[in-house]
Amino acid sequence: MSKVIPKASGEKPETGHYEEYSVNQPAFLMRIRNECGELAEYNLMSQPHVLMSGPDAQEAWCRAPDEVLGQSAAYKGIVPIFGKGVLFDTTLDRLKQQLKIQVDALRYQNMKAYAQVIADEVRDFTNNWGESGELEMVDEFLRMTLYTSTSCLLGVDFRRNMTDEFSELYRDLEHAVIAIAFIDPYLPLPEFEARDKARARLGEIVEEIVEKRRASTEEYTDALHTFMTSTYTDGSTLSPHEITGLLIATMFAGHHTSSGTATWTLIEFLRNPQFMEEVKQELAEVFADGGDVSHHAMRGMPKMEAFLREVLRMHPPLSTLIRVVEQDFNYKGTIIPKGYRVVMSPGVAHKIAEVFPDPEKFDIHRPEPEHLFAWMAFGGGRHKCAGNAFAILQLKAIFATLLLDFDFSLSSAAENYTDDHSGMTVKPQAPMTVRFKRKKK
Amino acid sequence: MRIKVDLDLCQGHSVCMEECPEVFDVRDQPGGYPQVVVLMEEPPEELRKKVMSAVRGCPNRVISIEE
Repeated sequence: MSKVIPKASGEKPETGHYEEYSVNQPAFLMRIRNECGELAEYNLMSQPHVLMSGPDAQEAWCRAPDEVLGQSAAYKGIVPIFGKGVLFDTTLDRLKQQLKIQVDALRYQNMKAYAQVIADEVRDFTNNWGESGELEMVDEFLRMTLYTSTSCLLGVDFRRNMTDEFSELYRDLEHAVIAIAFIDPYLPLPEFEARDKARARLGEIVEEIVEKRRASTEEYTDALHTFMTSTYTDGSTLSPHEITGLLIATMFAGHHTSSGTATWTLIEFLRNPQFMEEVKQELAEVFADGGDVSHHAMRGMPKMEAFLREVLRMHPPLSTLIRVVEQDFNYKGTIIPKGYRVVMSPGVAHKIAEVFPDPEKFDIHRPEPEHLFAWMAFGGGRHKCAGNAFAILQLKAIFATLLLDFDFSLSSAAENYTDDHSGMTVKPQAPMTVRFKRKKK
Repeated sequence: MRIKVDLDLCQGHSVCMEECPEVFDVRDQPGGYPQVVVLMEEPPEELRKKVMSAVRGCPNRVISIEE
């Protein structure tokens, strides 16, 4: 006999828990975790969900095979952005092959080239800041990471000649990620019409670059090169349409997540000056050998890494990850039936006091939990964020440059910097303004 | 020391192969991510430093060591 899944209180007819959920999702999920434990059933507009929290439950969620917990239905709303036949719009076998090609672009061999590209972009970007002033960092980091990601994905040539058209097309894709897209992404709405136009135009732009490169003898080390030269198991290559889809998917996965984390990292440095001093001390020691940012970003910086890890614990950029139960799923004797959605929440995982004592305290010296599935900022298992090494490399390069070249201070009271929970994802609430002053050389 | 790998976690990032090619190779697998292959399950003590770099460098924490 299966055990009964504990049900969260406060359910209303028809809408279920939707109202409480939409007002403050993290608070709602934490409440039901505290009320129900590892498994907590809740209901959103007649769709049953189960929150799986605590390291063991998170591990089971991560390790379940694709045939049991599927990803595709959760990505329904963004299928038209990636394009027909790309990633979650293909068979499971094709999806696995495309994911493999996507990860190839993020393997260690490519990373060294990216380190140089990122370090150069960050230096160029901050050179435009001038000597001192005030900056709104949410927007600054969104632009900075758009440049670094286009450079790494589409190449430095493309990035140098990047037009406003490209940023506008990308924005049209972003603006189509709205709640209704996950119900029906093909409704006749202006957002979706703009999205489809932008996707088609991006396809043309990429096809043009692909043709140019096929005709040239130059060597490239960016993701586009990896996508152009990879093959499916039957030996065929990716079409320009599929290449465009993978480029967009990679950019979507890494852009807001990285820029939001960069914003929080800067704010947490300024809120925790004692830890910032420790990181600066480490930078002084590391850079004493005269090496440059790209060189050191590839290597160990334990204090910086611990700082970033703690930022990601406090502010995981994706607060929930969803799978659809494709076959009845057994967790420690409780059956979660087919058709349910199961949710893993890094936001909840990181605030469990038995795992992270005094969870609201920012502390870069907190001992790492022994359980491998306690810290979940990048997810875990076979669908762990494949860009995790890239993300950390990029943040190290950004903050090595910023802390070596500038002094910063908060423009507003420390408690005025908060998260915005109103959208589809959690993000830093703009404006987040800081003052900066370039250091004397 | 004895090397253990958890293949559920491996996406073929290849840091291990870079840090310690004597012990780790990353090979294509049919229809999925390339994955680590352990060439020496009980490597000699002189490789400890390189093995530890691979353990620490793995972004997915696939590798562990039993003494």
